[in-house]
Amino acid sequence: MLGRGVKRKWSCLEELEADRAAAAEEEEDEAEEKEEEEDGGLLGPARPDMSHVQQRQLVLGLCLEKLQRCQAGVELSLRRSVLLINTLRQIQEEMRSDGSDAQFDTPLDAADPDSRLLRCDIPVTCPGCAEGDKEGPSPPSVLPSLDTNSSPSPSKSLPAATHSTLSDAVNAVGYLSDLALDDIFEDIDTSMYETSDLVAGSFWPVSVSLWAEEEVKVRSAGPASAGTLQSCLMDLNELDHIMEILVKS
Amino acid sequence: MAGAGGDMQWCLSQAKGSLDDDVTEADIISTLEFNHTGELLATGDKGGRIVIFQQEIENKRQPQYRSEYNVYSTFQSHEPEFDYLKSLEIEEKINKIRWIPQKNAAHFLLSTNDKTIKLWKISERDKRPEGYNLKEEDGRYRDPSTVTSLRVPVFRPMDLMVEASPRKVFANAHTYHINSVSVNSDNETYLSADDLRINLWHLEITDRSFNIVDIKPANMEELTEVITAAEFHPHQCNTFVYSSSKGTIRMCDMRASALCDKHSKMFEEPEDPSNRSFFSEIISSISDVKFSHSGRYMMTRDYLSVKIWDLNMESKPVETYQVHEYLRSKLCSLYENDCIFDKFECCWNGNDSMVMTGSYNNFFRMFDRDHRWDVTLEASRENSKPFQVIKPRKVCAGGKRKKDEISVDSLDFNKKILHTAWHPQDSIIVVATTNNLYIFQDKMN
Repeated sequence: MLGRGVKRKWSCLEELEADRAAAAEEEEDEAEEKEEEEDGGLLGPARPDMSHVQQRQLVLGLCLEKLQRCQAGVELSLRRSVLLINTLRQIQEEMRSDGSDAQFDTPLDAADPDSRLLRCDIPVTCPGCAEGDKEGPSPPSVLPSLDTNSSPSPSKSLPAATHSTLSDAVNAVGYLSDLALDDIFEDIDTSMYETSDLVAGSFWPVSVSLWAEEEVKVRSAGPASAGTLQSCLMDLNELDHIMEILVKS
Repeated sequence: MAGAGGDMQWCLSQAKGSLDDDVTEADIISTLEFNHTGELLATGDKGGRIVIFQQEIENKRQPQYRSEYNVYSTFQSHEPEFDYLKSLEIEEKINKIRWIPQKNAAHFLLSTNDKTIKLWKISERDKRPEGYNLKEEDGRYRDPSTVTSLRVPVFRPMDLMVEASPRKVFANAHTYHINSVSVNSDNETYLSADDLRINLWHLEITDRSFNIVDIKPANMEELTEVITAAEFHPHQCNTFVYSSSKGTIRMCDMRASALCDKHSKMFEEPEDPSNRSFFSEIISSISDVKFSHSGRYMMTRDYLSVKIWDLNMESKPVETYQVHEYLRSKLCSLYENDCIFDKFECCWNGNDSMVMTGSYNNFFRMFDRDHRWDVTLEASRENSKPFQVIKPRKVCAGGKRKKDEISVDSLDFNKKILHTAWHPQDSIIVVATTNNLYIFQDKMN
């Protein structure tokens, strides 16, 4: 269980998430087994009244698991995705307001605008949200490698819907760098976007905001693809922020 | 029509479909709809097929008559497609069927999958021309030189043939999945709704439609609500409603503006704070909305209840019926096994005195609005013999289970009744289990 005030490494958190997902899956399997025995009862093992926090953890884990579980080649239901994400947000809010009692509060918030960005919800475009509804000319992509990766055959495990979500986020960067403001972006290193590691790793960005207090650790995370993805998306947010300021001035 | 619901005695009239416990995916019934007279019953399935049953009434003059529904026509409405742009399959599953009010001998219906709506014409042919001069009966051409006299071809009876032909295809108007189709009372237009938009069509025109509702935010990351169902008012051709995943219903007037983004009424019941949980929003999501035949009320179905709204009162429903309140304490498990996302439909009887909706374990519920009476019945071949009155069922929520009761934990959540239909005039109901169709008739008909 996530304790308060304990510093953890990113790899440890990954394991925790994987464990929870595995536990939830195990429970589902158990439930399924029971179902076969009991001719259809599907409510799983009787769960004595869990504490609110326990239930929250369980629902959180399930939420993430459901959002990540995709059927290859078939579009996900937008209604389902939206309901799941709203539930996730609700849990985030609760956890944040609970966590605001702890000591993570002021030092990060006040001084560092970056962390404020990170504390905000990372774009949680649900799969299928960014579907081909592009009015007007589509932004030219400067990341051909990613794009070709993002139109998989249905046999690949990641569905195109999720890819298009990612490539939309990344296309935004591509669109921005097309503007004649290239010199401003000179110092931003976009080389990491060209790797195909982005595609292979964990593809749900939501997990970043849940452990926002760990952003320092995450940024300096090793070559783990999940970490790479999250820091990419953090940079995207920063870029958006910068662009907003520039455009307004 | 029979009197109070409590007087009704439902008997299994027919059960259609495979007896196998193994369900073929393509046979799963996905929609059910009577036509306006109740003579025809259309079913759509996951395999994109439509089967139409026709009512054949034996001994209608006698006070107790039995009507039987037999297959009238079967055809493939939609085929699976592939969206090359997104590398995704478009399912052929029929999401909705709606009949067009009949204008001539032929029957017309609209059927839709996730992306494309089709207008089908179902017509009967029971005569054929015979006696051509230049053609033999089998179609071969005769040598003109052998023709010595002329005759007038005549129509002779033949075995009834029912033909279904696609008359119009309304395509490429929806980016998101179509969840509803509703024919307007003007009999000229209809609406189609997907997760974020509602379009208005003319039945004769396929190459364009008007967008009348658009709730897509400029930034998709701000999306928190989707459209779940939409329907035209049965009499006012300018009025329609649409429900959302947040439990609200918006009524719009097309006379007010071309784009009906501003609702004229919004129906929403404030949440009961004592019932708040992580699942509150999910269970408040409305899965079906249906106007009463009178046009005075509308009914909505959310996960645990059925609500009747008076169109003149937006603040709360006038009636609320609990479908399976015993599931409230099991929401976490239902979330785990995904059942919490199931979309149940609901329906009115012909005179709006009763409503019906489905539940789990092949149970379905009926509520008598006038007499405050409700019943739980089961659609199962084992527990019902034809013409025998079926027994009400009861679920034991907790505590000591009585003899005929079934405990919540023994319910089969794989056996769900999502689709039900009530004959517009007679006391005949149809209930769809996963791949079977059950037709019940009130013995006191």
